[in-house]
Amino acid sequence: MTLTASRPLVRAAGAARTGRRRAGWPLAALLAVLSLLTVSPFVAMVVVALSPAGRPTVPGSWPESLTFDNVARVLSSSGFAGWTVNSLVYSLVSVVVILLTASMAGYAFAKKRFPGREAMFWTFLATMMVPFQATLIPTFVLVNDLGGVDTFWGLIVPTLANSQAVFLMRQFILGLPDELFDAAKVDGASELRVYWTIVVPLTRPILATLGVFVFLWHWNDFLWPLVIGQSDTTRTLTVGLTTLRTEEMQLSVLMASATVSVVPCLVVFFLLQRYLVNSIAMTGLK
Amino acid sequence: MRQRLRDPVTGLLFVLPMLVLFLIFRIFPTLGAAGMSLTNWNIGGEWSFVGADNYARLLDDVNFWTSLRVTLVYAAVYVPLTVVVALGTALLLNQVVFLRGLFRGMLFLPYVTSFVLAGIIWRWIYEYSGLINGLLAKADLGPVPFLEQSALVLPALAVVSVWKGFGYSMLILLAGLKSIPGSYLEAATVDGASSWQRFRRITLPLLKPTLFFVLVIETISAFQTFDTIYVMTGGGPARATYTLIYGIYDHGFRSFDFGYAATWGMVLFAIVLVVSLVQRRFLDRGNT
Repeated sequence: MTLTASRPLVRAAGAARTGRRRAGWPLAALLAVLSLLTVSPFVAMVVVALSPAGRPTVPGSWPESLTFDNVARVLSSSGFAGWTVNSLVYSLVSVVVILLTASMAGYAFAKKRFPGREAMFWTFLATMMVPFQATLIPTFVLVNDLGGVDTFWGLIVPTLANSQAVFLMRQFILGLPDELFDAAKVDGASELRVYWTIVVPLTRPILATLGVFVFLWHWNDFLWPLVIGQSDTTRTLTVGLTTLRTEEMQLSVLMASATVSVVPCLVVFFLLQRYLVNSIAMTGLK
Repeated sequence: MRQRLRDPVTGLLFVLPMLVLFLIFRIFPTLGAAGMSLTNWNIGGEWSFVGADNYARLLDDVNFWTSLRVTLVYAAVYVPLTVVVALGTALLLNQVVFLRGLFRGMLFLPYVTSFVLAGIIWRWIYEYSGLINGLLAKADLGPVPFLEQSALVLPALAVVSVWKGFGYSMLILLAGLKSIPGSYLEAATVDGASSWQRFRRITLPLLKPTLFFVLVIETISAFQTFDTIYVMTGGGPARATYTLIYGIYDHGFRSFDFGYAATWGMVLFAIVLVVSLVQRRFLDRGNT
């Protein structure tokens, strides 16, 4: 009795499954087309970058030959090299300092009791609602008064106050068992030792995620470096790229610059894609 | 016992570096923005208190109203477009097994690059002598003045931002789709529900909180668009892309009229705050 009753069910489910599989091919084709469309601007950029300079190419047509001359020219130009170094300094120093200060603050907010803890934490959170652009002018005036315009500290330090990072670290450390910290203290470990030998190693996965995001945020950042980096000494790559105008420069050289500038992002992307994809869903970092 | 007593100090010491950074570079400028909007602060650092003059000037400023309209129209084009593209690609990725990882990576790729790069590539794509018009010319069509015509330029810019950013919302929505129990959909299939009915009656209602989150995030980022405008149009043609943020930049760093620029910043702050509060309201209602 039960057997006969369940049979149509099994068949229906089976039909649904094969139906789904058959319907899958047009959907897969659509997905393939959309994916190719999405990467096509990059492909076009690379093709133009590899086209011989100085010869007017018809847009949308394949060049007769490919050359690395433009890329070589970009790599050997001092302006470009300088911007790249500045971007690296801006991004890497920010990663190190934010990871350090945010994990320390996150640890204290999660596991320490001290006066004003809740008020402080909520103030940190509330600043997330204030868009940076709304405070751009007073921040600039402040840094200007402190003599920070066109200096590295003026570029980097104001971007280190990152509430997202503190929040993420606190949430992660909240999930670590208290016994770990108590046991270390009973064994006589100093506070700094507890931080360095327990908090840091145990938060390594979330530190790595945060590090990747902080790197991308800073490497791709534009408005703050634009107003602070007023000469080539502190100008970052994104700002430098906008000073290159097609009128003064061949399109192929501009696209070669753009191509070279995106390499670090691509390295991060290809090495950590799966990781990045999972952590966005998990943490909501943007 | 001694450990407990020492805790307040160590806790504070651990927070201290970040706290100092916050007080100086987040809290102080936030309060400063409000204060500055009540002054005529200029490049020389001289200022006097002018009360609500800047706000009165704002209400009389034709450019401000244009800019508010431009910002809202841009958001009205960008937000639905990006949510639809993100939802569509997320649904496809959830359905298709074939080369899923590769396709997901390709769709997500623009997200890791910068808006400046997106602006540089797409400026060339849209130009008279650019890619699209080159292709159109081969078919004896065009040219289309994407960046030169007021009616076309905002949608054209919105497309660039959608291209650059939809990967993020796509991943968030994909995670939301994956959390819908497969048994619900199977049960509906067994009951003879069509794929549209399954989407409309099961997937969409269960995806609502995620969709709402994406909607808010994308609305806020629509109001913060600056880089592509700076690179591609410079606020033009005829102020057709002169958004609020562009106004802040323009008054602050072209006219060095800091007090008035801060006033524009306060408007941006108010808008983002309202969006955030609406989000909180809805999320709270969803929880009860």
